[in-house]
Amino acid sequence: MNWLTDKLGSLGAPGAWIVSHGPQATLLLATVLGGLGMWLMLPRGNAGGRRLGALLAALAGVVYGSQLVPVGSDEWFSEAVFLILAAVTVISAACTITFRNPVYSAIWFALTLLGTAALFLFQGAQFLALATVVVYAGAILVTFLFVLMLANPKGHAYYDRVSWEAFLSATAGAVMVGILSITLMKAFTTSPDAPKLQPPSAEALEKDILNTEHVAHLGAHLFSEYLIAIEVAGTLLLVALVAAVSIVGLDESSRRAERAHDFHG
Amino acid sequence: MTAIVVEALVKIVLLCFALMTAAAYLVLLERWIAAWVQDRLGPNRVGIPLTKIKMFGLGQPLADGLKFIFKEVYTPSHVDKVLYIVAPISILAAALATFAVIPFGSVLPSDLGFPQPDGGPIRLVVAPGIDVGMIYVFALSSLAVYGVILGGWASNNKYSFLGGLRSSAQLIAYEIPLGLGILGVVLAAGSLRLDTIITSQATSGLWNVLVQPLGFLVFLIAAFAESARLPFDLPEAEQELIGGYHTEYSGMPLLLYLIAEFLHMVTAAFLIVILFFGGWHFWGLTGSSDEIGWGTAILRVVVLVVKVLATIVFMMMVRWSWPRFRFDQLMALAWKVMLPLGMVNLVLMASLVEYGEDITATWGRAFLIAGMWIATLLACLAAAWIAPLSGDNRPRMDAA
Repeated sequence: MNWLTDKLGSLGAPGAWIVSHGPQATLLLATVLGGLGMWLMLPRGNAGGRRLGALLAALAGVVYGSQLVPVGSDEWFSEAVFLILAAVTVISAACTITFRNPVYSAIWFALTLLGTAALFLFQGAQFLALATVVVYAGAILVTFLFVLMLANPKGHAYYDRVSWEAFLSATAGAVMVGILSITLMKAFTTSPDAPKLQPPSAEALEKDILNTEHVAHLGAHLFSEYLIAIEVAGTLLLVALVAAVSIVGLDESSRRAERAHDFHG
Repeated sequence: MTAIVVEALVKIVLLCFALMTAAAYLVLLERWIAAWVQDRLGPNRVGIPLTKIKMFGLGQPLADGLKFIFKEVYTPSHVDKVLYIVAPISILAAALATFAVIPFGSVLPSDLGFPQPDGGPIRLVVAPGIDVGMIYVFALSSLAVYGVILGGWASNNKYSFLGGLRSSAQLIAYEIPLGLGILGVVLAAGSLRLDTIITSQATSGLWNVLVQPLGFLVFLIAAFAESARLPFDLPEAEQELIGGYHTEYSGMPLLLYLIAEFLHMVTAAFLIVILFFGGWHFWGLTGSSDEIGWGTAILRVVVLVVKVLATIVFMMMVRWSWPRFRFDQLMALAWKVMLPLGMVNLVLMASLVEYGEDITATWGRAFLIAGMWIATLLACLAAAWIAPLSGDNRPRMDAA
């Protein structure tokens, strides 16, 4: 790496910054690459460059991966599982927004949700994982699919071929990912008294929601500390339900009135 | 670590092998029962190949399987090539993954002669540590709808598409009564673990079907609808939709669909037995503690399997006893009958758990059970009075 340091040093102030902030500069590079790649991959009318975009995004993923903090060798199995799940989630999320056929996008989104649920499960959040699957993959996304199939069986309308504000959305996503990853990296590497990744404490395994009576502890938390939030959320859902029913009812009675009108008059 | 992985892998291989064989022979059983109900012979010729030995037709599943495997996998030119293949794979994967939390017995004896992975006795379930087993089953059964919708859509065929649409509406509608039926059981056991639910029934000796017949009724009907058995087989109604969502399929992909369908039925039977009929428990035979010998361990597996088989035979008999619903009747049944009945059961069970906990006298319990049955009767009568399903079978004149 010496020749690179020398070359960068000859560039003046920016080069010196890059030399002194090695990991951050790498992450910045990866973020820019990833943002550019995603922008190229997003559906933009008939513009090409999707393969190049995929290549750039994959490169960004590799650079991000090179900055991973290695864990102890006895944990290799769980780390491998985590990495595979994370890769599946990220790749399917990218496919969700870059595919042009809305049905395929929905399927990739389902895979993203499954990956997210698996990551939750991996962290011991059993209820959250399965609630994600039941609510999002099992109910909401099925409704999406239902509507997509009814609305546009042939796919590929004009509005499926372009994504609105492709550049702005790619930039916003890249900025967010970049800030998050750089902050996280700073927290875990630079400062000496930084929090380190640690296995859950014995106390948490014993008493908190990581123990075997997971749901009981979760329920106790929800219905004591967060009782008001739960009740308010329930009421909100009820209000939405009543509103939906009333809209349907109005529609039906007005249609009946119309038919009666047609019949009599 | 390694020991746990090996244990899980052994269970997975055993379970997959057993399930595949069971699915094949259940097809034979279904055909026998169909033949018996319709007063004909049914498949009774295929025995050992190249000999004249017939063995009551027990070789039939092998011949069926070979036929499916060697058939051409024909992909019509008008289908969506990728989803056409993904759909049957996804439905079979979801159907198989459900069995990760379904116990196929109780525990093995604690003195096995080799070191056990995590100290305790080996539980006869693939994923014994999952505390949310019931929600897991629920989540995976809600994923089954993907295979049907995608298969119907990818086939690019009006009949398939209609089957897919019908299926998604039906499965979404009946998930709610299914959940309400499960909730009553969960309240009674105080846990979402399937093995805890069985153990609580075994220790009290009261199967849930005795205490909450209304919940059982709701769950049974919803389970029929979720596994798309007659009288709820609208997604593939042969007389209306040819074959529904799998009209365009042939060969192996069709086989995947058919196996998944049978696995859904097996899952439903397992759940009915585990939630409402005490799982591996039988009075005076199996006991209820975890400290058991080989004899009891095997006996528990046998009891569970016999109960499940009986339930499956019941489901197959229902197939030839009931005509199919019309679609608006199907929806009315779900929303106007099943949903209120499930709510009634939930409220009854909640008050029973809250106030009936300290009733231990035999007579008090008998009164409680009698009260639940009377309430069930009243609720069914009220439902029949308010939302009659069979009052008028003529075509609806108010439809737009």
